[in-house]
Amino acid sequence: MAATTAASQNLAACHLCCKLAPADVHHCPRCGSAMHLRKNDSIQRTLALLFTACLLYIPANIFPIMYTDQLGKTEASNILGGVILLIDLGSVPVALVIFIFSVMVPSGKLMAMFYLVWTVERHSPLDPRQRTVMYRVTEFIGKWSMVDVFVVAILVALVHLGGLLVIRPGIAALSFAGVVIVTMIAAESFDSRLIWDSMEEPGSEDRTS
Amino acid sequence: MNGVLACHGCDLLVDVSQLGDGESATCPRCGNILTRYRSDAYSRVLAYTTAALVLLVLANSYSFLSFAASGLESVMTLRQTPIALWEQGMPEVAVLVAAFIILIPAAVLVMLLLLCIPLQYGRYHPWLVTMAKGIFIAQNWAMVEVFIIGVIVSLVKIAAMATVVLGISFWAYAGFSICFVLAVASLDRYQCWERIETLGGGN
Repeated sequence: MAATTAASQNLAACHLCCKLAPADVHHCPRCGSAMHLRKNDSIQRTLALLFTACLLYIPANIFPIMYTDQLGKTEASNILGGVILLIDLGSVPVALVIFIFSVMVPSGKLMAMFYLVWTVERHSPLDPRQRTVMYRVTEFIGKWSMVDVFVVAILVALVHLGGLLVIRPGIAALSFAGVVIVTMIAAESFDSRLIWDSMEEPGSEDRTS
Repeated sequence: MNGVLACHGCDLLVDVSQLGDGESATCPRCGNILTRYRSDAYSRVLAYTTAALVLLVLANSYSFLSFAASGLESVMTLRQTPIALWEQGMPEVAVLVAAFIILIPAAVLVMLLLLCIPLQYGRYHPWLVTMAKGIFIAQNWAMVEVFIIGVIVSLVKIAAMATVVLGISFWAYAGFSICFVLAVASLDRYQCWERIETLGGGN
């Protein structure tokens, strides 16, 4: 059963102001934003950005995210190393929080987006409602992996006790910020309406009013 | 097509013209929350925005955290978070951090004031459209609540090394982040644009 969607009525909705206008209008009559029936090249753009994020994710994990200079000794720590160090120190809850925000959220987000693109491309019959919820969760948690970058920023600004104890940022902080920003843009360029479009059989566009 | 909205999640057309005060509409097909009508929406936004602006000024005026170990002490202000990154050779990250935690949120708050004061008093200005566009584009990139979690995680991380004292700015920023999130959440995208259009049409 095909539902009455805006597209089936030949209407496009403005992504910024929700205004409905005929699909052949290129600029929103209310706010002037570019208008499309569906986001432009959504799948290609999302995939390109996801691959960029995957590439950035490699240096983000292998290079140090910060250096601790303590009494003349320099110690470099990367994301996973920081989690392991915290477990060794006995603060398992904090280690868990950092693990969730800086390992599980970014990698889970990448996997979820790849999965969504894949199911849309092969017209998967899986529950579209669940996949829409999955997309919304991915979109929502996007910015939460910035926690790690903020932690580095705060520690760098706070801990500078002359030659005794200094914390400096590492190159992974930049790559990691890149991962977060690129995946946020990837989530934004994905169009969850495609999940629903792919459910309706190709060629059977509903035109009833 | 008055009173009809296409769901952002699945494109279903939903009639939202019969919403009463305080009621919200949910998409029957994908469960997305579409819009919520509140007759006092703009005074709510204005109240939270004003509070957030005052708290942001306070958060920028005092010490944020101070850190003491072996008789040495270092004090940090909110502004120093990006500045220290810049000085340590990471200007790109410094700019991003400054934008996400101070500049974008501040810009969103100013635009909220410029948008909601005219909407509250029913006056139309041509720049209302620009303000609303700016708010809805920029709001996803304000990370004030994420920053607060970052502060808490850093506190726990270094609590074993030294004594950390929370400054006035920290509490101001915590309050600011709550008010900011509430201000942004109180502005309903659909209702706000409908209101701008109605005011513009009646001019």
